[in-house]
Amino acid sequence: MDKKQDLYSWLEIRGVSRREFIKYCAATAAVLGLSELEFTTRVAQALETAAKKPPVIWLEGQDCAGCTISFTGALNPPAASIILDKLSIRYHETIMAAAGHLAESVYHNTVKKGGYVLVVEGSIPSADDRFCMVGGRPFRKIVEEAAEKAAAIIAVGACAAYGGIPAAGPTRGIGLHKALPGKAVINLSTCPVHTDHLVGTILYFLATGKGPPLDDIGRPKAYFEQSIHDNCRRRSYFDEDTFLKDWNDPTQKDFCLYEKGCKGPDIYSDCAIRRWNDGINFCIDCGAGCQGCADPDFYAGMTPLYTAESERSQNIMARKKAGLIPKKEKV
Amino acid sequence: MVEKIVIDPVTRIEGHLKIEVEVENGNVKDAWSSGTMARGFEALLKGKDPRDAPFVTSRFCGVCYSVHQLTSARALDEAFGAKVPWGGTLLRNLAMGAQYIYDHVLHFYHLSALDYIDIMAVANYKGKDKGLLAVKDKIVGLVKANDTFPLTPRYKPDEFCVKDPDMVISAVKHYIDALSTHARARNMGAIFGGRTPHYQSIVVGGFTQYPDINMVARFRTMLDEQAKFVNDVYIPDVLAFGTGPLFPLAKMGLGGGHYNYISYGALEKDPTGKDLVFPPGVIVGLDPKNIKVQPFDQKKITESVKYAWYKQDEPQHPYNGKQEFDLEQKKAYSFVKAPRYDGLPMEAGPLARMLIAREPTFLGLVKQGVKLGAVARHAARAIETKLVVDACYKWCDDLLSAMTKPGFKIHDTDHWEPPNNGMGSGFYEAPRGALGHWIKIKDKKIDNYQAVVPSTWNASPRDEKKVRGPYEESLIGVPVPDPDNPINVVRVIRSFDPCLACAIHLIDPKTNEIRKFIVE
Repeated sequence: MDKKQDLYSWLEIRGVSRREFIKYCAATAAVLGLSELEFTTRVAQALETAAKKPPVIWLEGQDCAGCTISFTGALNPPAASIILDKLSIRYHETIMAAAGHLAESVYHNTVKKGGYVLVVEGSIPSADDRFCMVGGRPFRKIVEEAAEKAAAIIAVGACAAYGGIPAAGPTRGIGLHKALPGKAVINLSTCPVHTDHLVGTILYFLATGKGPPLDDIGRPKAYFEQSIHDNCRRRSYFDEDTFLKDWNDPTQKDFCLYEKGCKGPDIYSDCAIRRWNDGINFCIDCGAGCQGCADPDFYAGMTPLYTAESERSQNIMARKKAGLIPKKEKV
Repeated sequence: MVEKIVIDPVTRIEGHLKIEVEVENGNVKDAWSSGTMARGFEALLKGKDPRDAPFVTSRFCGVCYSVHQLTSARALDEAFGAKVPWGGTLLRNLAMGAQYIYDHVLHFYHLSALDYIDIMAVANYKGKDKGLLAVKDKIVGLVKANDTFPLTPRYKPDEFCVKDPDMVISAVKHYIDALSTHARARNMGAIFGGRTPHYQSIVVGGFTQYPDINMVARFRTMLDEQAKFVNDVYIPDVLAFGTGPLFPLAKMGLGGGHYNYISYGALEKDPTGKDLVFPPGVIVGLDPKNIKVQPFDQKKITESVKYAWYKQDEPQHPYNGKQEFDLEQKKAYSFVKAPRYDGLPMEAGPLARMLIAREPTFLGLVKQGVKLGAVARHAARAIETKLVVDACYKWCDDLLSAMTKPGFKIHDTDHWEPPNNGMGSGFYEAPRGALGHWIKIKDKKIDNYQAVVPSTWNASPRDEKKVRGPYEESLIGVPVPDPDNPINVVRVIRSFDPCLACAIHLIDPKTNEIRKFIVE
């Protein structure tokens, strides 16, 4: 009996009335060839063993939803299977059916219970809370509250990890490393988050119940240990100081992009091997340099983006001249 | 009795939006639209190398990413005096085409459809189609496991929600299929764009990806899949819903608005740049039987700040607009400014484009009794997706023919260095509507940067004459029989495809000051 009452209150929270549910059970039970009682009992039993899919709260702050779009780009496994079969996504403003107070009530209920995976997209304004308000409350407070009882915290994208572009502006956006001091956070930098980095981290968590091994700035080693430069197909041109000057000239199209502002020798991410969009392409292959979106200093530390005048670029050339960037070994 | 309903956050949109409505006798009497997040993009661009702007402004929005990159590059093209070669334009158009296709499919299935179907009706499916039975099993399985997130909770299905099991189950199947379809549309865009979200290859003067024949072939092959989905699934679904179970909503013209429309024009069909997939124009007070289109003149754009948190000023053209925040403004209720054309609020987006283009398929629906409003917006969006698909095939052919001729160019290398001083404007049609960027350059650096985006037009608050913005006006008279279930309000708002992160990115570059911000 109590189980049944639990079930009804559980459904109520999810916006399904008791009457609706009984009506639905009758219809479903008939379809499944079960009696209504049997069906309701089975549902109640399942309630006990539910929660196999880890609950997820995905918060969006000073974001552009690019990381959300990147997440929905998953093909292997497809996003539909991750969203419906592998995770229980309780709160995600861009994909959830609910809005307004319905959305807020699911959020509060999930937070109260704890044990969820917290995903944060977008930075948190440090200049003034009022630059980002959700449901009438400061986003900073929502993040702090949701972090309390989270089983794992993932910062997706450059903004949530280290502040990203908003860090360079007057709202002084900060990432979780500053907003949640002392909390263990998995940083999946790059702008936006790489689909594979996020899906792989989720799958790792599902398989082991914990986060993957991280480097000293909180990024999974599996994705961020290698330098872009070491795996760049234009690398031998860098070694020979042969730089692309004209995008129109097919004989130059594979030359090094250093003079067009590429910061690859200074940036650590597996983009050059993994590539993007199911391996179709990535920044350097399309003739545009690496702008260091995996790095904590992105964007302020990378500008100007399209010349070799930034401090980072100058530093790369100084190191090259000093022989500190080894040439690629001839095979 | 007047009852106030606040929907905050409005979900399944891009960005942070609050909608407040006053309901009297079951209908919306008044409405307020508020943007509640700001990042200060213009301020952080000041003093930077102008060539950074397309890369940075792409991050205005991760849903319509490349349109800002491209519009910014167009503003720079003008300021630098760069002439984009036809090859560069074709590559920009193909990248944009992929963006349109993915964006519209995502909007219909993933951001909107749940407002129009009772998803639980799949349990009543009695057919034998294996694919559909698998969908039924999946949803019933979720219910049995007591975990139907994120498909529930939801506003209660009302009398307009489609409950026919056959229609609902095929819509849910398409919801699931479309997740992978639009992911592959974005991958298609990455062939030339470098990656998505946020292309890398659009720069001032043209494009960075030197194309080869294999890339064009790959794009074309992937385009075939998109064309099939758009022609055989997306358009039939929208038409079947719009002229079938949703016809009562279509006929009542739910969410009409001011009936003023604006398009800046976009997507060149030939090197002259005159023949466009979406022609520019302005319609004031539309008469569907006699559509009169005025030429678009950018000089007539002004922005009012009377009800926004900015220092009070007369309405200004974006080149001269000031960006000083003032949160003491007692009457203000949004970070979004109020753009006006010739003093009038304008709706931007697919509905505006299809009316201004006098698109025959769309006008046929209007003749059948589909009144301009929420359902018509979905129909216009679907119909124009096909126009973009068709144009992509032509651009592939044109690119192949251009590539194989001597002197093929993708970039204006002579105008890569920033001018000492200059100004430029870029106009474009984003999937969500008319998009403009304005730049002023001083001593080779950005001196001022301004953007008026589609959702600034559509989500605008009242202007100095107290005239409502398009979202607000479109909500007047919308039926809300149950104040706990304002499903019609979100139907109307989502039909515009809001993108609020784009709309709010301004902040005082001098004081960075926020003093007072009244929150409900």
